[in-house]
Formats: sequence, C-alpha cells, structure tokens
Amino acid sequence: METIENLVLEDSGSAPALEPLAMVALDAGRMIMEAGASANGVNEIVDKIARGLGAERVDLRVGYASLAITIGIGPNGITRMRKVGHLGVNQRIDQELQHLADRVLRGELTTDQTREELARFATGTPRHSAWVMALAVGLACAAFGRLLKVDWLGTGPVFVAACIGQLVRRELLTRHVNVFICATLVAFLSSLLGGLGAHWCQSATISTAMIASILLLVPGVPSVNAQSDIMDGHPTLGSARAVTVAVILIFVALGLWLGQVLLSHLGIPT
Amino acid sequence: MICGAIAAAGFGVLFNIGFRSLPWCAASGALALGMRTCCLDGLHWNLEAATFAAALTVGAAVQVLRFRTDISQNALDVVGCIPMVPGSFAAKAILGMFALTSNTVDPSETLFTAVQYALRVTFTVGAIGTGLAIPTLLLRVRVLR
Repeated sequence: METIENLVLEDSGSAPALEPLAMVALDAGRMIMEAGASANGVNEIVDKIARGLGAERVDLRVGYASLAITIGIGPNGITRMRKVGHLGVNQRIDQELQHLADRVLRGELTTDQTREELARFATGTPRHSAWVMALAVGLACAAFGRLLKVDWLGTGPVFVAACIGQLVRRELLTRHVNVFICATLVAFLSSLLGGLGAHWCQSATISTAMIASILLLVPGVPSVNAQSDIMDGHPTLGSARAVTVAVILIFVALGLWLGQVLLSHLGIPT
Repeated sequence: MICGAIAAAGFGVLFNIGFRSLPWCAASGALALGMRTCCLDGLHWNLEAATFAAALTVGAAVQVLRFRTDISQNALDVVGCIPMVPGSFAAKAILGMFALTSNTVDPSETLFTAVQYALRVTFTVGAIGTGLAIPTLLLRVRVLR
C-alpha cells in the first residue's frame, strides 16, 4: 500500500512546501478548537495562518472530532486531516493563537517558526492553579445559589461542595476518566456534600443548594457554541455539540438524582 | 448584579482567563444580570425575553469594547452570559423525566412540569445564542460591505 508521503504531489521549487504548511495550519486549528472556539473562530485562525504562510486557496471542514483542510498554491494542492481531542475551554491559548495568526498573516513568521510557537503554546501556556480554580468555582456556584434563592445558611455549603467538586473533577480529568462518567461522579459528590452541608446548617433550601452545587458542570460554552455554529452555517458541528451537551446534562442529572436518593435514605428531605 | 459579576468572574478563572482580564468578565456578567433583572422586574417580561434582551445588550457592548480589552470577543460575551444559562431548569427537567418512571408521582403533572422546564431551557439557551449572534452578524455584514 502506498504511504501518504508518496501520494503528495511534488512541489515546485518556488512555492512553499504544502505538507508542512497544511499540518501547521491544521495544528493551529486543532489547538483553538480544543480551547473552546466556535467553527468560525477556527476557520478564521486557520485561514490567516495558511494564507500568511503562502497558501493561495484554503478550504477547511470543521468536524466535531476532526479537521480537514485543502490547501492550494498555483497548480499544486493537498488535502490533509487531523484528529481533534477533548473540547475544553482555555482562553489564554485562544488569545495567544489570535495574536500568532495576526503575526503570521503579516509575514513575520516562517512555517518552522510558527510550528515552534505552537509547540510552545501547547506546553508553556500557564494555567491557574487547582486551588485558585476551585475557589473561583466555589464562589461562582455560591453566587449562582444566591441567584436561585438559596438562603445564606445554604450558601456556605454550596461554596464548599463546589470547591471540592472542582478539585475532584480536575483530578479525574487529569487521569483521563471519561467526561460523562466524571460528570456523574462529581455531580453525585457535590450534590451530596451541598445537601448534607445545607441540612447541618439548618438551611430551608436544601434542594436548591444541591442543584447550585453542581452548576459548575453545566456546559455553558458548548451550548452557546452549538447554536452559533448552526447559525454560522455549520449545522453538523452544531448538532454534534448540542447532542454532547444534552448527554452531559443527563449524566449530571443522574449524579444529582443519586445524591437525592442517598439523602432521602438518610432521612433528609430534598 | 453582584452575584452575576462573581459568577462570571469565577467561570472566567475556570476558562483560564488571566487575572488582568477578570474585571471585564465581571462587568460583562453584571451587565447581563442587571439587564435581565430590569426586564424581569421593571418591564415584567418573561424569562426568555429578558434573557434575549440581556444577551443582545452584552453582545452589543462587547462589540463596542472589543478593541479595548485583551480578551477575545467570543470569550467575553459567553462568560457574561454564563450566569443566565438555566442549569437548574435543565436538572429539574431531567429529574422530572426520571421521576416519571416511578409509581409514586402523578404522571401527567410530572410530565407537564418536566416538559415545561425542558422548553424553558431550550428557549432560554436559544435566546442567549441568538442575542449574542445578532450584533456579531450585523457587524460582519457591515465589514463585508
């Protein structure tokens, strides 16, 4: 069987090599997609980088789990595909890629330099520490709780339950536990802790405190991206995102339900 | 508004937004919640319409401010609208569906409530997405011209 390399047309000496150009553009697209960008955002970055590196024609297909690109320079053309990993949200990588794409479009970087920059982003982009994230998520869920009319006695337990839930979620995801299983486990743990804490603090809003404790798991960015993708003419990707959001919500609700059942067995009304 | 600001900033940290940009996230969340509360309490609109107006306002404000902040427009408007995502309604809708399988509840009432919550989730998320998209799409049309 022929290898992929043997299928690539030989490039003329004057045009930049198509293969590295396509792979660098796809890598940038993969990274920004995994950082939580919508299809239009991915398209924009890939287009800027490919054209900045010398491509004359750029066609990108953005799928949920893969990206495919066709790049052309003069009479030569190449089509390549790249797998996309877990779709998370990382604003700093998004921002770095926006700046990089602008620099590449201005002709400041070669293909190799762009690849080096991408490798640097992948390994060197800082993240907030686990504790900072846990505290921030705890505060966010406590604020959500107040918005949902959880009383002050129940707000503290929501904060603690969401903090612990976030720490556990991060640990599970680091160990590559399936995201849906992770959602159920964290929802169960957080809702249980939130409910028990609210009961011990004699809160009158135990049920709402349990729900507020799991709001860290609601996939807000994918649900907004799903709709914007459909509106931007990417119904397949948008539908895939919507289905994923729906399934995550079912697994989150399952964890919450298990928490409620356990609390009911302990004689705590939910 | 304060709760909206805290929730948006908290989710900003989760999305790995730098500390310097967090005040913008908080402002975005406060604007969204403030606008929604005005429409709900002042104008007596329903939740979906109020959410649409709030998302439209945040989307337009982010368009105006997009060159002043060191944060992507997409992230800023989504973070601002995160406090309006009806996570509790979604959980109640699915729990209602679960409850239908038990014999201890009134099926018609439980189904009605679950479907009502599910529809509210769908329309509210739709309102957020549409409200955020309209200013972006309008600006894109203007740029293309």
